[in-house]
Amino acid sequence: MYLFTGKILRNRQLTSDIRHLRISAPADFCQQSAPGQFIMLSCNDGLFDPLLKRPFGILNRGENWFEVVIKEVGKGSLQLGEMKEGAIVSGHGPLGNGYPEINSDLNKDDLTPLILVAGGMGIASIASCLLFSLKSSIKAGSRVLLYGAANLDELLLLDEMKESAPDIRIETITDDGSSGRQGWVTELLETELQQYPEALVFACGPEPMLINVQQVLRKVSARGYLSLENRMACGFGVCLGCVQDVTGIDDDGTVESAKVCTQGPVFPADKVVF
Amino acid sequence: MVDLRVEIVPGLVLKNPVLSASGTFGYGREYASYFDVAKLGAVITKGLSLKPKIGNPGVRITETACGMLNAIGLENIGIDSFLANELPVLQNLGADVIVNIFGNNQNDYAAIAAKLDQVEGIRALEINISCPNVKAGGIQFGTDPESAARLVAAVRKATTLPLITKLSPNVTDITAVARAVADAGSDALSLINTLLGLAIDLENKRPVLGNVTGGLSGPAIKPVALRMVYQVVQAVSIPVIGIGGIASAEDALEFLMVGAAAIEIGTANFINPQIGIEIVEGIRDYLDQRKYLKITDFIGCLQS
Repeated sequence: MYLFTGKILRNRQLTSDIRHLRISAPADFCQQSAPGQFIMLSCNDGLFDPLLKRPFGILNRGENWFEVVIKEVGKGSLQLGEMKEGAIVSGHGPLGNGYPEINSDLNKDDLTPLILVAGGMGIASIASCLLFSLKSSIKAGSRVLLYGAANLDELLLLDEMKESAPDIRIETITDDGSSGRQGWVTELLETELQQYPEALVFACGPEPMLINVQQVLRKVSARGYLSLENRMACGFGVCLGCVQDVTGIDDDGTVESAKVCTQGPVFPADKVVF
Repeated sequence: MVDLRVEIVPGLVLKNPVLSASGTFGYGREYASYFDVAKLGAVITKGLSLKPKIGNPGVRITETACGMLNAIGLENIGIDSFLANELPVLQNLGADVIVNIFGNNQNDYAAIAAKLDQVEGIRALEINISCPNVKAGGIQFGTDPESAARLVAAVRKATTLPLITKLSPNVTDITAVARAVADAGSDALSLINTLLGLAIDLENKRPVLGNVTGGLSGPAIKPVALRMVYQVVQAVSIPVIGIGGIASAEDALEFLMVGAAAIEIGTANFINPQIGIEIVEGIRDYLDQRKYLKITDFIGCLQS
């Protein structure tokens, strides 16, 4: 991982409180970033308020830039979201384990079909599976994106994803029915798993959604991965602020605590103990 | 070039006065990809207990103005796993290792000290009598001078390793506890641990932290820490290691100036994993520019 300073290249407003930032970065950082990994960002080095860097999913990356989506929920994200083009940020990453490659063979017909599930800001992580321009079995295997949000306005990055992955089908569902039908994204997941019973599922979203995804997967004995988020001070495994109960990585069934930052944020769905 | 070596107690000479504070440096290996941890004065490990400990449930950290509250609850892998899996890694990295220890009761503290007594590669023990986030162990020993002294005396009997006692600022008079543990045989003191604090979630009418209260750290506490180090340096004759909000070489130099024999870096490690080595270099540059030959000539140079 790398510690670096980058420049805001673009700051696009997606909703009243959600921003899409492109930031310059060293080529090595960009090359090593993978879908589902995250970066700790601050625009305030040495000033102490806000004090800590904040974690954001790496949405996309090019040769010498990366992108994040920032929802302004507190002092740190607000300050980052308001950064003007040309402003300097400090970054630390890429951190954590992203989504696993599902096959080394990129021949699309042989790949395990992949269902992507995003709820709300979970799209910032899930969209990286489609936007990253690398040759990846994740992108090649993706068949459908199931995307739930509060309303039509909160459905983000649809054009970008369609452009980057034109073959993928995108099904939306909203809390108020303003796009797709009214309901929860896990309802769509149940239907899709009937069509692709052998599919692998990647999901990111609020905890209640992930709990439902886990239940749906268990019901039909499907496999999947959940990307979690938690408060963290460091992002590299030392503060122990972000721990999550999981059943033993050694398969012995005992519950232990795992660091979301270094052992996640992507975990096998059946291991997570909510 | 200035000689940065400091002698904390006879036999415990560190290559420089910059140490990592327990609980902010893992078991050391997490930092090895950021800088050569052997270049620190010493690595102080996460607090270790006889048995592994899972820590507190719920939200464990929250940021406050220029600081953060934590209520991790002394989660750790236990001393046996540390000795088997972590200490060899630290030794391979060439780090000087100080092990931070705690227990539920006096016997636990003595048992863990005895266990570490003959272990190769441990330079000293730091006794945590000041964690504010657990019911048993920690702060219950650190707020009463008599209990603190009894505990330190028990650990003293159990080991020949140099003992550093880490003090809590959550007391009326920190010099009383400092004197008591010095008299009981502690070789050095380190202070301050975190200040007890509270953060509220206004919207949900609840405390933010699962543990309700937590320990405040970061630049917000530096003036309090500096004042306490200043007071304790004058109250005891054993070395004092300064801790609290140190985020730059200038901060570190202030603690050394009031008489701290060394300093520990805590929360700043989270923000910049290379801060430890940057502070070592910053101290060296500062003293070189001012033609100091030995850092010990600078320590305690505060004019009254």
